[in-house]
Amino acid sequence: MSITVNAAPRRTTPRGFAFDPIFEILCFTAATTLLVALGGVIVALAIGGWPALSKFGIGFVTGSTWDPNPDHEIYGAAGPIVGTLITSAAALLMALPVAGGVAFFLVELCPTPLRRPIGTAVELLAGIPSIVYGMWGLFVFAPFFAAHVETPLMAAAPTGSVWETLFSGIPNGSGILAASIILAVMILPFMAATLRELLNTVPAQVRESAYGLGATTAEVVMSVTLPYVRRGAIGAVMLGLGRALGETMAVTFIIGNSHGFPKGLFDSGSTIASTIANEFNEASGLQSSALIALGLVLFLITFVVLALARLMLRNQAKV
Amino acid sequence: MTLLDTTHQAPDVSVAPIDTGSVKLDVQNLDFFYGKGHALKSVSIPFEANAVTALIGPSGCGKSTLLRTLNRMYALYPGQKATGKIMLDGEDILRPGVNLSMLRAKIGMVFQKPTPFPMSIFDNVAFGVRLYETLSKADMADRVEESLRRAALWDEVKDKLLTSGLGLSGGQQQRLCVARCIAVKPEILLLDEPTSALDPISSAKLEETVTQLKNDYTIIIVTHNLGQAARLSKYTGFMYLGELVEFGDTAGMFTKPVTTRASDYITGRFG
Repeated sequence: MSITVNAAPRRTTPRGFAFDPIFEILCFTAATTLLVALGGVIVALAIGGWPALSKFGIGFVTGSTWDPNPDHEIYGAAGPIVGTLITSAAALLMALPVAGGVAFFLVELCPTPLRRPIGTAVELLAGIPSIVYGMWGLFVFAPFFAAHVETPLMAAAPTGSVWETLFSGIPNGSGILAASIILAVMILPFMAATLRELLNTVPAQVRESAYGLGATTAEVVMSVTLPYVRRGAIGAVMLGLGRALGETMAVTFIIGNSHGFPKGLFDSGSTIASTIANEFNEASGLQSSALIALGLVLFLITFVVLALARLMLRNQAKV
Repeated sequence: MTLLDTTHQAPDVSVAPIDTGSVKLDVQNLDFFYGKGHALKSVSIPFEANAVTALIGPSGCGKSTLLRTLNRMYALYPGQKATGKIMLDGEDILRPGVNLSMLRAKIGMVFQKPTPFPMSIFDNVAFGVRLYETLSKADMADRVEESLRRAALWDEVKDKLLTSGLGLSGGQQQRLCVARCIAVKPEILLLDEPTSALDPISSAKLEETVTQLKNDYTIIIVTHNLGQAARLSKYTGFMYLGELVEFGDTAGMFTKPVTTRASDYITGRFG
C-alpha cells in the first residue's frame, strides 16, 4: 500500500464563508437599531415634554406644587423627584449589606448541599413580578408595618427631637419608608445573585493565599475578595439602583401618592414613576406634557447614575 | 524482563530515617480523602528543620494534597478529611481545636500561580503582618523592606511601593508572594510548584530566593522540575498514586534511587 505524502487535500470553500458578510450586517443592524431607538426615545420625550418644560422652565424641577386641577394647572415636580431619589437611595442602603451578606454566605460559608437550593431561591425571588411585591406590600406588609413599627416609633420619639420630625406622618403603613423597604426587598435578590456570580470569579488560590496567611473569613472577604471584584460590584449596585429608580407598580401601591415634599419617613409621597402611572390615564394637554417631561427627567437621572458608575469605575481601575 | 537481576530485587518502598532531633514537621500515617477519593495512603514523612525538602512525582500523585494538609488548607472545603498525625514541634496539628489562624501564621504558602492581592505592593506585604501585630509606621516600613529584600525583590520595587501589586511581572508577583509570606515570620514555607507559571529567568530568580531562605526556614517544595529539586533540596520524597514511595537525601535519590518506581521516574521512563 502506497501513501502519497504530499498530495494536496481537495479543499472546498468553507460553508460559512458566504454567510459571514450577512452575519456582519445583521450584527451591525442590531447595534444601530438600538442606538436609533435610544435617540428616538430621547427626542420623543423632549418634544412631548416641551410645552410643560417651556412653560415652567426651571420651576418644573424646583417647584413643589403639582396641581393638575384644570383651573390652576401648575406642575412642579420637585416632590416626585426627591421622592424618587430618597426611596432609591434608602432602598440601596438597606439592600446592599444584606445582599452582600447573602452572597458571601453562599460563596464562603454555605454547606455545599444547601448552596444550590438557596442560590435558586435567590434567583426566583429576583424573578417575582413587581406587581406581586406591590400587592404583598399593600395588603400584608403595610398593616404590619403600621401596627408594629410606625406606631411604636412615633410614640417613642421624644417631643421636639429630630426623631419626632423623622418619624412624622400618618402611621397607616404606606409612605416613603415603607416604599423604600419594599424597593429594598425587590432589588436585594438581584444584587445578591450578581454579587454571588462575581465572588465566584475570584480564583481559589487568591482566597487560599489570604487564608494561608491566617486571615479569618471576614478578613478574607473584606480585604481580598471584595476588592478583587470591586469594579463589578459597583456595576451591580448601580444596576440595582437603576431598577429602584424606575420601579413603578410596587411603589405606586405603597408610597401613598401625594405630591409635594414628604415631611417625614412615614409621610406619603410619590416618585416620578408612580406619578406617571397614576395620572397618565386621565391626562391630556399640559398635564400629559408634564408627565412626559417627568419621564425625561427620570431618564436623565438614570443616565447620570450610570455615568457616575462609569466614572467611579474609571477612577478605581488604576489600583 | 530478562535484564532485571532478580537476585537483588529492589524494595517496593524505601523511607530513609533522618535524625529525629532535627525534625520540624513529622507526618505519621497520614490518609487523606476528597469525599470518597483516597488521595493519600498512610504517608509518613519527616521534614527537617531549616532545610529544603522536595516532593516529586507524576501529576495526581498527591504531592500538592500532602502540602495542603500541612497548613490544613483543605479545611476550607467541606468533604475533605485527613486522618493520622502531623506533628509540628511535637504537637499534632490535625487534632480538633487547633487555631488555624495561628497555625497558618507559622506556615506560609506560595502557590503555582502568583496571587497578589488587589492592593499596593506595600499593603500586600503588610497584609499578613497587620493580622497579628500592631506595628508603628516605621516598624512596619522596616518589616516590609526586610521581607522584600529577603525575597530579592526590594531593588526592583523600592520606588513604586504604593503602586498596585497587580502591575508587576509574573516573576515579580511570585517573589512578592514569597515576601508576603515571610513578612509574617513563619517557620515553615510551603511552595506548591512556585515556578511552573514563570519564564526561565524568573524561575532562576525565584530559585535564588529559595536558596537564600533555606537556612532559616523549613521549606517544602512541590515541583515537576527534577533539576530544581536537585538544585534546591537536601531531601527528596518521591510520591506515586498517593503513596510515599521513596524518601531520602537528594543526592542519593538522584544518583542511586533505591526503588524501581523512583528510578523509573527519575530516569524519565514514566511520568
